[in-house]
Amino acid sequence: MNALTLWLEKYFLPIAGKIGGQKHLVALRDAFIGTIPATMAGSVAVMINAIIRDLPPQFFDGYDGNSIPIIREIIGINGFVWNGTLAIAGLIFVFSWGYNLAKAYGVNELSGGIVSTAATVAGLTFSFSGTLSGLSLDEGTIASINEAGWAATATDITAGGWGWIPLGNLNGNLFFTAMIIGFVSTIIFAKLMLANITIKLPDTVPPAVSKAFAAIIPATVALYVASIFYFVFSKLVPGMTFLDWIQETIARPLLGLSQGFGAVILVTLFVQLFWFFGIHGPNVLAPILEGVFGVAQIENINLFQQGGTELVLEKGYMWVRGSFDAYSWFGGSGGTIVLIIAIIMFSKRKDYRTVANLSVGPGIFNINEPIMFGLPIVLNPVMFFPFLLAPVVSVSIGYFATIAGLVDPVSQQVAWVTPPFLLSFLATGADWRAPIVTLVAMLSSFVIWVPFVMAANKVEPESAESAQE
Amino acid sequence: MIEISSPTQQDRIIELLTAINTDDVTFTFKEKKGISLYFETNASDLEEAAKIAKSAIKAEPWGTVLYFRSVPCN
Repeated sequence: MNALTLWLEKYFLPIAGKIGGQKHLVALRDAFIGTIPATMAGSVAVMINAIIRDLPPQFFDGYDGNSIPIIREIIGINGFVWNGTLAIAGLIFVFSWGYNLAKAYGVNELSGGIVSTAATVAGLTFSFSGTLSGLSLDEGTIASINEAGWAATATDITAGGWGWIPLGNLNGNLFFTAMIIGFVSTIIFAKLMLANITIKLPDTVPPAVSKAFAAIIPATVALYVASIFYFVFSKLVPGMTFLDWIQETIARPLLGLSQGFGAVILVTLFVQLFWFFGIHGPNVLAPILEGVFGVAQIENINLFQQGGTELVLEKGYMWVRGSFDAYSWFGGSGGTIVLIIAIIMFSKRKDYRTVANLSVGPGIFNINEPIMFGLPIVLNPVMFFPFLLAPVVSVSIGYFATIAGLVDPVSQQVAWVTPPFLLSFLATGADWRAPIVTLVAMLSSFVIWVPFVMAANKVEPESAESAQE
Repeated sequence: MIEISSPTQQDRIIELLTAINTDDVTFTFKEKKGISLYFETNASDLEEAAKIAKSAIKAEPWGTVLYFRSVPCN
C-alpha cells in the first residue's frame, strides 16, 4: 500500500491537485457554490408547494390547494420566492461567476460580476413573437389588432413585442452561455485591470469612486468585445441568438451525454477512487458534478415548479446532482451509514465497534469523516473493494428505478445533511416510492459490505495499520 | 496533541506544520500511526490548534484537494 501511495503522490495527486487548484475551475466551483443561498431558498419554496399543492391530490380526490385559504396564499408567496431565485438562476450564476473569476485574478470582484452579467445579457433576445393560425376574424377585429401594433389577417394573428427577456433565457438555460461569455468578458476585464489600463483619479477621491472609475475602460472594452461578437454571430447565424445556438450545439448534447449509464457510473467510480486515496472527489470533479449534473438539476426544479412531476418526466433529466445523494451517498460518500450498521451487527472488533458507535450520529446527517478516518476506510485494503462497488450498485439501482419510471426523477434541491430516507423523499418532490428505492439500494450495499466487515474480524488491528504504512 | 489523518502528502504536512512558529502556536511532530500523524502543540486550545493546522494545509496548492482530518487528541 505504501508503494501505491508513493506512486499516487508522484503521478496522480499532482494531476488532481492541478485540477482542484486550477484557478478558473476553482472559480467555477465557487461560482456554483455562491448561488446556493438563492437556489436553496427557491428549492424550499418549490418543495413547500410540492407538499401543500402537488402531493395531496395523489391521496385526496378533489383537493385543490389554490382554492384553500392560507394554503393559497402560501403557494402565492412561494411563487414570488421562485421568481427571484430559480426562475433567474442563470442570471444569479453569471454574476457569481464573474465575481469569483475577478477574485481569482485579484481585481475588483464587484466589477467582474457586473461585466460578466452585462456581457452575457447583451446577447439575449429582448423581444417575443408568436402566431395564432386558423382563425376567422372580422374586419373590425383585424383593424383593432393592427392598430395595437400586432399583425392580423383574416386567419392569423402574429403577436410581437420588444422589451421582454424570455424567462427561458435567464434560468438554467443561461448557464452554459454564461460560462463562456462570462469567462471571456471577465478575463478581458481582469487582464486590462492588471495591465493598469485604467482611469486614474487623484488620491483625494474616495476609494469607492476611484475603484469604479478604474474599472470603466476594462469593462467597456470587455462589453464591446462581447457585443461585436454578438453582432458578427447574428450575421453569420441569422435568426438565432448565441444562447439558442449554445443550447443546441453544446448544452443539450452535453447534458444528454451525462444521462448515460456509463457517464453516471464513471463519475461514481472516480469520486470513490478519489475519496479512498484521500482526495476530495466532489471538489476535484466539481466542474462535472455541478457544471453538468447541477445544471440538469436546476432545469428539473424549474420544470417541477411549472408543471409538476409530469413536466419533469416529459422534458427533464432522469439523473441529476441530487440523485447521487438520494440513492448512493447515504451517510456520506460510499454509503457509509450502511457500513456503520453492518459493523454494529457483525463486527467482533472492539476498535471497529467503538468507531461505528461514535460515527452513527454524524452518519445520520451524511457526515462520514469519523468512519472514513476512524476505521479507517481511507487506504484500507480490506475496504477498497466494497467502498468502490457498493456505490456503483446503489447508483445503478437508483438510476434504473428512475429510468424505468418506478420512482420520479430528483426535482428538488435538498441540503446534503438531510437524513437519507427523508432526503430522497423530498428530493423527488415527495414521491413516497423514493425512500423505498433508497432502502433497496441500502440493502444491496449492506449485502456487499457485510462479508468485508466479517473478513475484517480476522485481521488484527496492528496488521491492518501496518498495511497502510 | 492533535491528530492529522491523511493518506497522502504526509511528509509535506510534517514539514509544513513543524515550520509554523507563531506567538500563539507551534507544532512538533511526535509519531506516525497508519494514516495518522500526531503533533504536540503548545496551544492551550487544542480545537483551535487543529483548525490552524487544517487551514495551513488547505492553504497549500497540494492541500486544496486533500481529504484529511484534523482533530484534537490526548
